[in-house]
Amino acid sequence: MENLLRFDTGLMIWTWITFISVLVILGTKAWKPMIKALENRENFIRESLEEAEAARKEADKVAEEYEAMVAKARHEAQNIVAAGKETAEGMKAEILNEAQDKSAGILKQAEVQIVAEREKAIAEIRTQIVDISMAAAEKIIAKSLTPEDNERLIDDALKDYGKN
Amino acid sequence: MAAPGHGTSNNIGDKIIEHVANSDVMIHFELFGVDLSITKHVIMLWIAAGLLVTAALYATRKYRKEDRPVPSGFSNAFEFVVDFVRTGILIPTIGKNHVLKWGPLVMSFFFLILTMNFLGLVPFFNYINHGHGGTTATGNINVTASLALITFIAIIIAGILEHGFFKHWKNLVPGGLPKAVYIILIPIEILSMFVRPFALTMRLAANMTAGHIAMLAIFAPIFLLHNAYVGVASVALNVGITFLEIIVSIVQAYVFTLLSSVFIGQSIHADH
Repeated sequence: MENLLRFDTGLMIWTWITFISVLVILGTKAWKPMIKALENRENFIRESLEEAEAARKEADKVAEEYEAMVAKARHEAQNIVAAGKETAEGMKAEILNEAQDKSAGILKQAEVQIVAEREKAIAEIRTQIVDISMAAAEKIIAKSLTPEDNERLIDDALKDYGKN
Repeated sequence: MAAPGHGTSNNIGDKIIEHVANSDVMIHFELFGVDLSITKHVIMLWIAAGLLVTAALYATRKYRKEDRPVPSGFSNAFEFVVDFVRTGILIPTIGKNHVLKWGPLVMSFFFLILTMNFLGLVPFFNYINHGHGGTTATGNINVTASLALITFIAIIIAGILEHGFFKHWKNLVPGGLPKAVYIILIPIEILSMFVRPFALTMRLAANMTAGHIAMLAIFAPIFLLHNAYVGVASVALNVGITFLEIIVSIVQAYVFTLLSSVFIGQSIHADH
């Protein structure tokens, strides 16, 4: 047993030399670069996750805004259609009224014109009758007719005109 | 080594101790009156350190060039262990902000002890000039005491760096207690300061030696009884114990590292 627990300064010194060499070499060349790389990776993953989360939130927000916009646009479109319909209805009624008014006016005018034409025609006929009567009278007078004859002739002539 | 089988039960015990002890001086060497002879365990230390440095430098070659390397193969496996030490030992005990400062020391403890423990399981010394089978440098209390002494110094340095020289020593005992308590507490705390590295020393050395002694003791009946059945049983049993020893090697490297890290962490976070 004393062999196992023997104090050995040389081995202790060799242990220190070996350990400190390992510590210095690997501390600078292996452990620190690896710890830094692991920390970098951890940070990178955390940042990426945070960024992804932020991006997702942003996307949600944009989608919400877009949906709101679409809803608003739809509402506006409905309003526009409704307003258009109303305007069209109004215009239709107006045009109809106007057309009715116009046709009534035209009708009235036509009636007035017809009446006027008829009166004009009657007046013309009357003038012609007088002229013809005058001509007939002249003829009768030329033949020296009796007054009875004259009257008869006028009546005949009038009858003829009436027939015509 | 004397021809096996001729010993009595008395010198079987001596033989076993001879196997596990640092009994072979390979090159005698003295400097300023200090015996720095190259013994079996010194060679083991060097082989372990050489293997570890080579493997670690190879595994981390990408990490020295890139900020965020993508590991593969051996680097990936190595990184897994490094990350285990970082997240399993360093961060919970020393804290995230001190990982870069104390990480190298703790990592060196873990990997060097683990390499030495594992090497101790490989009986290759038969092939190196003289020396017997396998022996573990970490089974030698001089090696573990040296490592524990480094922990002891690291605990003090960590405290002084964090709190200043005087505050560190004041931190050893909790404040705000009745004066009478301090009469008991101060000696206890001073004692515990030395007990901790001593416990580290003994735990590692004893655990690493015990397995070897057990294995050699199980082999001993072969030489005592000269019986083939005993040989088969001994070998079968020792195969099992070897697996157990693999676990012990990992656990003891972990325990030494974890406790060192815990003590350093306590020294840093003494004010909490």
